[in-house]
Amino acid sequence: MLIAVERSKKAGVVVLKLGRSLYAIVALIVACTLLIGTLAEGQDSGTEEGWYFAGPVQRASVALGCGVVVAMGVIWLGWYWFRLAGAVASIARLFKEDQGHEGDTGPSVLGLLKLTEIDALRKVVGEYLEGRAARASEQTNQIKDLRIQIQLSQKREKNTEAIIYSIRDAVIVIDEYDKLLMANEAAGRLFDFDVRRSQHRPLSELIGRDRSQFAEFLSHSRKSRNQATRREIEFSEQGERRVHDCIVSCVYDQNQQVCGVVAVLHDITREKQIQQMKNDFVSHVSHELKTPLASITAYSEMLVDGEADDESTRREFCSVIQNQAQRLNRLIEDILNTSRIESGLIKVNKELVSLTMLIEEQLQMIRSYAEEKSIQVVGQKPIVFDRVYVDRDMMSQVIVNLLSNAVKYTSSGGSVKIETAVDEVASLVRVTVVDTGVGIPEDEIGHVFDKFYRVGANKKQAKGTGLGLNLVKEIVEKVHDGRVFVTSQVGVGSTFGFELPLATRESAPIA
Amino acid sequence: MADKKVLVVDDEIHIVHVVAIKLRNNGFEVISADNGAEGLKLALAEKPDIIVTDYQMPVMTGLELVEKLRQNESTRDTPVVMLTARSFAIPQQQQDDLRISGCLSKPFSPKELLGNIEDILYQKQLIADD
Repeated sequence: MLIAVERSKKAGVVVLKLGRSLYAIVALIVACTLLIGTLAEGQDSGTEEGWYFAGPVQRASVALGCGVVVAMGVIWLGWYWFRLAGAVASIARLFKEDQGHEGDTGPSVLGLLKLTEIDALRKVVGEYLEGRAARASEQTNQIKDLRIQIQLSQKREKNTEAIIYSIRDAVIVIDEYDKLLMANEAAGRLFDFDVRRSQHRPLSELIGRDRSQFAEFLSHSRKSRNQATRREIEFSEQGERRVHDCIVSCVYDQNQQVCGVVAVLHDITREKQIQQMKNDFVSHVSHELKTPLASITAYSEMLVDGEADDESTRREFCSVIQNQAQRLNRLIEDILNTSRIESGLIKVNKELVSLTMLIEEQLQMIRSYAEEKSIQVVGQKPIVFDRVYVDRDMMSQVIVNLLSNAVKYTSSGGSVKIETAVDEVASLVRVTVVDTGVGIPEDEIGHVFDKFYRVGANKKQAKGTGLGLNLVKEIVEKVHDGRVFVTSQVGVGSTFGFELPLATRESAPIA
Repeated sequence: MADKKVLVVDDEIHIVHVVAIKLRNNGFEVISADNGAEGLKLALAEKPDIIVTDYQMPVMTGLELVEKLRQNESTRDTPVVMLTARSFAIPQQQQDDLRISGCLSKPFSPKELLGNIEDILYQKQLIADD
């Protein structure tokens, strides 16, 4: 195509030059003819003055001269015409070739001597130019399309980058030489490097020696050509050990050769902690369930074997079996209620209840337990109006759990105090259980209502499942739209409590 | 076995009570403690012939108690029976290292516990006679 255009340019230049030469030759012939004619007229005027025989001789030579000049002019014209025709014919051939007419050589030099052939040539040139214009227009459109595609591609690339950068998990891409190709902000934070200034640097240099196992894992995955590999990797982050689920996939080129590796690191520290808490829970629950069961089994075996000699001992054994069976039942209820509240399957029977009366009922139960540990339990002062619209059984469980927890973590000689206060302005009742127990460290206080959570420092103080306080929170907040709270000081004691909306005076009589 | 003294260590008062009745009914002298620290004090002071201890207890666990016992000359060889309510058994290696004579899972049979104690003391007696 370019060659054809080049040829047509050259041919055009030749035609132009020939045209100019032809104009000069014609002008020269006309000028010569006019000069000879003028000379011939001047000689004619001389004959009139006496040269009688000179006239015919002079005219014949002038005519001959003119004839020679004209003949030469005609020859020159013919010669130029042929050259012009040859140039035009070659142009026509070039156009034809450019249009793809391989076998067609186009008009001949002789053919171009006819006007019809020149007209045909004009048509060819016209078609050629039209074709060129159409092609140019097509190419312009193609260029526009390409520009749009480039813009779209750039936009897509930016979107992909934005997605990768916004992923909370750390994403790292390395090339076949284990050098960094791309990393998102999360990866930069995790490995402590600037993602924008670290491209093409070896990964092992970027992430530090203490984390070299990660770089080795990526390198190994690349060499082994595994499509995807997974491993849990532990890193120290600001002094805290964190576990990451690392998924590594190889990137393949068109020839199915590994040209890089993509690694995604998902922080599973919390999941691990929950898993550990669940394991601990199973262990604790197992212990808590087996302990009353052990008493029931042992005492019933003693009864069957006749080890209880008298009626009083037999009654004592039966009483222990009964109490331990109730303990077992309460524990199972705690576990089931937690599960039911979480799944929303629990049946709630709300009624108007006086909190003062409800607390007094539960205090009777807890006092015998407290007396065993020589702990003083102080009840509340009477309150005029503290009615709440609650599920009586559930709220009893909340009060028992808070009181038994306070007694459990208070040493002999200490005290536990329960109080209620009515806030008329906020229209709520506040119940607080204050103990003089071991207290809770500041860094653990935010977790005490978490499921299965047990304060590390106090685990040895008493047994437990880590469900009691969680159940309190679930019952108060999820079922009764209330709020739980806690304050504590290690070695001084803790204050646990909850707030519930006060029932209106127009409500039904107290149940 | 009337002259044999058994130390029972458990924070569950009912378990201590039932084990004590069973052993006393079979001629043993029983002393008790409700946590590992108290149990250690009693073991050093009273030098029982055998110790029955719970695994999970406040203040000091059963395992910690056995470790302390093994560090003391007077209780180094005192046989120990461990009661456990945990969902997993104490590894055999750990039992061997601490020379725990027997492990019983809760809920346990007082008869079985008695049988265990008698067997251990009988073997101890045989070794002493040799």
